[in-house]
Amino acid sequence: MNTLRLYFKSIGMLLKSHLQYPSSFIMQTLAQLVMEGSEMMVVILIVDRFERLKGWSGGNLYFFFGVMSVSFYLTELFGRGITGDFPMMVRTGRLDTFLVRPRGVLTQVLCAGTDPRRITCIAVGIVSLIIGSGISGISWSFAKVLVLAESISMSCLLILGLFMIEAIFSIFSVKSVELVNAITYGGRSACQYPIDIYPLPLRALFTVIAPFALTMHVPAAWIMDKPLYGWPAWTAFVTPLSGAVVFVVMSVFFHLAMRHYRSTGS
Amino acid sequence: MSYFTVFKMRLRMELQYRGAMIGGILCQMFFGLILVALYRALYAGKPQSVPIENVAIYVWLQQAFFRMMLASDSELVDKIRSGDISYDLCRPVNMYGFYYARIMAQKLMGSLMRAVPMLVMAFVLPRGWGVSLPESGLGLLAAVPALFLGLLCVCALENITVAFTMITLDPRGMQGLLNLLMLTLSGNLLPLTLFPESWQKIITFFPYAQLLDAPIRLYTGEYAPGDAFRVYVLQSFWVVVLIGLGVSMWNANRKRMIVQGG
Repeated sequence: MNTLRLYFKSIGMLLKSHLQYPSSFIMQTLAQLVMEGSEMMVVILIVDRFERLKGWSGGNLYFFFGVMSVSFYLTELFGRGITGDFPMMVRTGRLDTFLVRPRGVLTQVLCAGTDPRRITCIAVGIVSLIIGSGISGISWSFAKVLVLAESISMSCLLILGLFMIEAIFSIFSVKSVELVNAITYGGRSACQYPIDIYPLPLRALFTVIAPFALTMHVPAAWIMDKPLYGWPAWTAFVTPLSGAVVFVVMSVFFHLAMRHYRSTGS
Repeated sequence: MSYFTVFKMRLRMELQYRGAMIGGILCQMFFGLILVALYRALYAGKPQSVPIENVAIYVWLQQAFFRMMLASDSELVDKIRSGDISYDLCRPVNMYGFYYARIMAQKLMGSLMRAVPMLVMAFVLPRGWGVSLPESGLGLLAAVPALFLGLLCVCALENITVAFTMITLDPRGMQGLLNLLMLTLSGNLLPLTLFPESWQKIITFFPYAQLLDAPIRLYTGEYAPGDAFRVYVLQSFWVVVLIGLGVSMWNANRKRMIVQGG
């Protein structure tokens, strides 16, 4: 609990520091809005032209898109330390200062960064969720709200876990490794559409290695009463937990890798 | 020709980053595969007047020349922030021309180094997934000059972005917005051929459509080789306008420049 309080206190302070330059902040936040807005425009144009994608209607596609943007940008908002700043911390030696403090390294890394500009991206995601839910005619129940909340929080853990792969690589190589983007940003691009439209290799990648399909598509499809692959209802509650599994496994690897950390000396 | 020397130096420098290149290529290939898979799934439900083979070619060429669009001269931005740009006033060359040559070399080499291996790999993929040669050789011949004019256009656009950075000093806001506009309106996010027809009529006249969309359409045959001349005229028009605009913005900024000393 103490750690959590520390975390929110640091994030609050960082937020204040971001707001010290209001005009730059507003400009960048607007840029983020335009960015995510144009991503959503692409989905709208696709729905306008093609009407449906395999068995999914336009409304379903908006809902999937919304789940992805809310989860992905929540992660970037709160986990900026891992998703963006970590390679820089290794290169500049800022990570060294974390090693001498009486807290876990991972906690401190997470405390060290936030990206409040993403708030507009999350807003776009929420709008898309609402539109998607309206068009698909979802009848909400307590269980469905619970599953959606579980799906989004587990997806955040999954995305954080995937970004930790990049962090682990950068502990060894000092440089950031662009290739890992294929699985994080590539996963975002691919999995804002339902998984079952893709050929088998891509489906396997995003079900087994980076299980976006399990944390997002299985529960979201159940919420829309179109269970993915016709799987039974309980899977919608169980499969998202794979996000937590990925996160735990990656934090173990992260701590193992930290044992081999050698400062750049700068 | 001093500009040509700058150009050559920059080409050599860009050649050095081969490690980053391989990672970039693999990443870009992966994105290309995802996009082609998505459009194939969409086409399975409702085929369009634009054949899927052309959409696949569109996606691959966009991915292959991605670096041509999003490459900026980070040294120049640093110089603007730190004020070191004032040293450039001492050089016996035109500043705009100097940096135009630099960014052109960077974009040309950066994209060619990535495009050639990527397109070779995309040629190996089966038809409808990868890239195939256009039906008439004329299409290919017509696309090459268009691609070159597109390069001139994108460098002029880049220099306009830099001119905004000279005013705001913080490159992130304006640069981000202009780059987004470019990615959307040049067909990187969604092929312009899949935009609503009524939009296409307007968008294809925008400068952003001249970068890659026009060459790709000449390649796939959506613009007949006979139309090539019309396309070149439109592209050249934008090159002249954008360079003119860029030069006047740079000159205006140079007059405003205050050197703090120290």
